[in-house]
Amino acid sequence: MARSVWKGPFVDGYLLNKAEASRGSGRNEIIKIWTRRSTILPQFVGLTFGVYNGHKFLPVQVNENMVGHKFGEFSPTRTFHGHSADKKARRG
Amino acid sequence: MGVVGRPHGVRGLLHVHSYTADPADLPAYGPFEDGRGRRFSLRWRGEGIAELSELIDGRPVPVADRSQAEKLVNLSLYADRDRLPPAGGDEFYLADLIGLQAVGADGTPLGQVDAVHDYGAGASLEIGALFVPFTRAAVPVVDIAAGRITVVPPDEIVVPGRADDAA
Repeated sequence: MARSVWKGPFVDGYLLNKAEASRGSGRNEIIKIWTRRSTILPQFVGLTFGVYNGHKFLPVQVNENMVGHKFGEFSPTRTFHGHSADKKARRG
Repeated sequence: MGVVGRPHGVRGLLHVHSYTADPADLPAYGPFEDGRGRRFSLRWRGEGIAELSELIDGRPVPVADRSQAEKLVNLSLYADRDRLPPAGGDEFYLADLIGLQAVGADGTPLGQVDAVHDYGAGASLEIGALFVPFTRAAVPVVDIAAGRITVVPPDEIVVPGRADDAA
């Protein structure tokens, strides 16, 4: 069952404080978080988070398309083996 | 670039698993080598089903029947790096990034790029125990020819007095 709309999106409180501190600085920074359950809010767009996957903090660069998803969706907990032979990485 | 799977039918067709981003692009990277000096060309005949031909003296000899096809099961298909189109702008092949030496802004060696991760939230580089986002700010210089990248590890945001920061 979906979460009731009247409650609003769930976000851990400490995450809002860290994001607020980072947004003001405008530097090359990463926000380490453990809260995989928190919803990605519009004010997080453009920030880079290090989302803990139980082992390490995987960098997550938030863009507009990720708003409404949970942080945990972008930091898999299982080991990934291999990749496409001709896959490219774009520098953000 | 791909791996040959089980035979399909009795006319020498085979299932081929493509490792390219778009499986339809696989034939364009041919001819392929199998690691033992044999060369093959490939043509898709259906979804995931291909007709393989061995190149003998430059002449394609198709796999004629199922018994010949069975001998090619689990065959790995390799292509020369030169056959891949050049990556443009700020795009880099993962195969080119892996193995590069990472140095800090002051030239301090940081290690080697072990893996490139991309789970839908931008690429990131794994350099030993260090994970850095693949951004211009964190990786200002990528010199494939010299086998080196310059890494400026991002600062960590700490909000004093929060219990979570101690976790």
